[in-house]
Amino acid sequence: MNHHRIRRPALVAVVLAAAISLVAVGCGSSDSGSSPDGDPTTTAAGSKATGAGDSAGAPKKIRIAYQAIPNGDLIVKQQELLEKALPDTEIDWQLFDSGGSVNEAIVAGDIDLGLAGSSPVSRGISNEIPYQVVWIHDVIGDAEALVVNEDIGGIEDLEGKTIATPFASTAHFSLLAALNDAGVDPSTVDIIDSEPDEIFAAWGQGDIDGAYVWNPNLAKIIDDGGKVLITSADLAEKGKTTYDLGVASNEFAEKYPAALAAWAKAQDQAISLIEEEPETAAEIVAAELEITPEEAAAQIGDLIFVRATDQVGDEYLGGGLAENLFAAAQFNKEQGEIEDVLDESAYQDAVNAAPAESAGG
Amino acid sequence: MTSPAPLADLPLPLPGDDDRRRVAARRSKALQITGDQSGDGRRGRRIALRLLSLLAFFALWWGLTRAGIWDELFIPRPGAVWERFLESIRTKTTTTTTSAGMEIVIEKRGLRDALLWEHWWATVQRILWGLLWAVLVGVPLGLLLTTVNWFRVVFEPWIDFLRSLPPLAYFSLLIIWFGIGDTSKIWLLFLAGVAPITLSIVSGARSIPRDRLLAAQALGASRLQTIRHLVLPSVLPDFFNGFRLAVGFAWTTIVAAETTAGLPGIGGLAWVSKKTGQSDIVILCIIVIGVTAVLFDYGIKVLERRLLPWRGRG
Repeated sequence: MNHHRIRRPALVAVVLAAAISLVAVGCGSSDSGSSPDGDPTTTAAGSKATGAGDSAGAPKKIRIAYQAIPNGDLIVKQQELLEKALPDTEIDWQLFDSGGSVNEAIVAGDIDLGLAGSSPVSRGISNEIPYQVVWIHDVIGDAEALVVNEDIGGIEDLEGKTIATPFASTAHFSLLAALNDAGVDPSTVDIIDSEPDEIFAAWGQGDIDGAYVWNPNLAKIIDDGGKVLITSADLAEKGKTTYDLGVASNEFAEKYPAALAAWAKAQDQAISLIEEEPETAAEIVAAELEITPEEAAAQIGDLIFVRATDQVGDEYLGGGLAENLFAAAQFNKEQGEIEDVLDESAYQDAVNAAPAESAGG
Repeated sequence: MTSPAPLADLPLPLPGDDDRRRVAARRSKALQITGDQSGDGRRGRRIALRLLSLLAFFALWWGLTRAGIWDELFIPRPGAVWERFLESIRTKTTTTTTSAGMEIVIEKRGLRDALLWEHWWATVQRILWGLLWAVLVGVPLGLLLTTVNWFRVVFEPWIDFLRSLPPLAYFSLLIIWFGIGDTSKIWLLFLAGVAPITLSIVSGARSIPRDRLLAAQALGASRLQTIRHLVLPSVLPDFFNGFRLAVGFAWTTIVAAETTAGLPGIGGLAWVSKKTGQSDIVILCIIVIGVTAVLFDYGIKVLERRLLPWRGRG
């Protein structure tokens, strides 16, 4: 081979340059094909200085992270309520499977609006993720619960038992809260991290003694002989309420308050449909989740919904929610789940009731 | 073997023929490498055998689910999968009237908001982009590694390092760098595919007999001419091996790549359905992925046969 090697650096350079330029072109072209063309950061950059005209403008594209939770968000998506309210805006719905991944996507700048549980949101605010809470999709009622083997008498008996829950979720938070409330040191319980569908599989195999999990896997475990010890609705009565929240990146909320108000209005419309036309709402949710309307109706029934006019009250966006997020952060720190808790004002600043106010008015 | 030429007029079997038959019979008892492309007139039998095995599979599947030994969550009925398939290729529109008299139209497009072919095309597109860049980068890279000494010394350890990593190990980093969109997925498929292609070029080029290289040089071929007329044709068979490997890697990687923001996409659909315990959709996705991967592989084989008619006969 050595004989063959003719010293000609020029050729090497040409081939290298060709290879590098190919890569560069490649990334460029796949970028333009997939990533948001109408990225609000670029489209709004020019108009930011103009002030007044800014807030009236609609973004070219809104990137929304939704989850398969049977609440109003799915109705907004299925019925294209936001698309109808903002006809000049492209709405890009992306399905996420946990609040943790929604947090990551917002940090990465891939998402403008998202749905996440109050526990991940409390962590997100503590980690100074630049986003704000603008909506309460639902209060988690009986949709999340602690289910165990029938031979376990109560929460006090969980010492040494194996309980599965998706870590960093609202269910994880509720499990720790339930143990604490019953005077059980969580470190004496073998708490394992698992995804809901895997929890159901582990339950079927007899690998776990119980789980804190949500629907539809909660319902499946109950059908399979699981016994409910406590639900998130019970914990809410003890002051440990968990929510599914709507969050908006600060950048988006500052640039497009009008679009955000339209979004809140669409969400409020969806909640009114759930309250006034539950059967129709169930059919719509069923179409999104590939389940039957009966299953959808049962799952919707396990959540509590709050209209915009009530959301702005002291109990929720008007003050109670910020306290809840702050308390959750303190609790998570006590449990060693997060490093730092910010000043209480940080949690108050991270709640923005303005979109809900305009939707309720 | 005797020459049959002077006996050509005789109507009866030729002695030479007989010899040949015996030789053929002996050969058939010797070890044969099956699956080479010397099609031997038994096409009908082959197709029948394959159909039979497919039929047996469906019968077994049907029988097992019929017996009801396992929960449908573990093995869904063939009928359920078929119904999901029908659901996946059409848009269903229902209209309900609310008690207030308002008409609400619920339009359900395929499964998870996209028809089956839309999921399919989203995935295939990602794979084709990833493979395209893997080839465009992998081939020059392989050539550089074998023809430029300092380049090999500097970059070979890097390529070995990259090659030994499971692509999913760095997927979360790709998401942080390139976002949740298609860019990170295409990068993942590119990285999964580039190593086997590069290495196939390297191994092909290294197996070129030295005499040929010397001959090319002696005849005054320039470096580019040597690459164009000697190296490229010589590495083509190895390239196809590497490319098939890369396609295989791409298919095994795509489902994982589509676990984040993978809708529409066949892998994304399978993932979401797994999460919600809809095994019938998962099975449907697996069938679609399997059939597509087999067709891809078949396409490459056909291409290979076209471009390398001498392969396996030399």
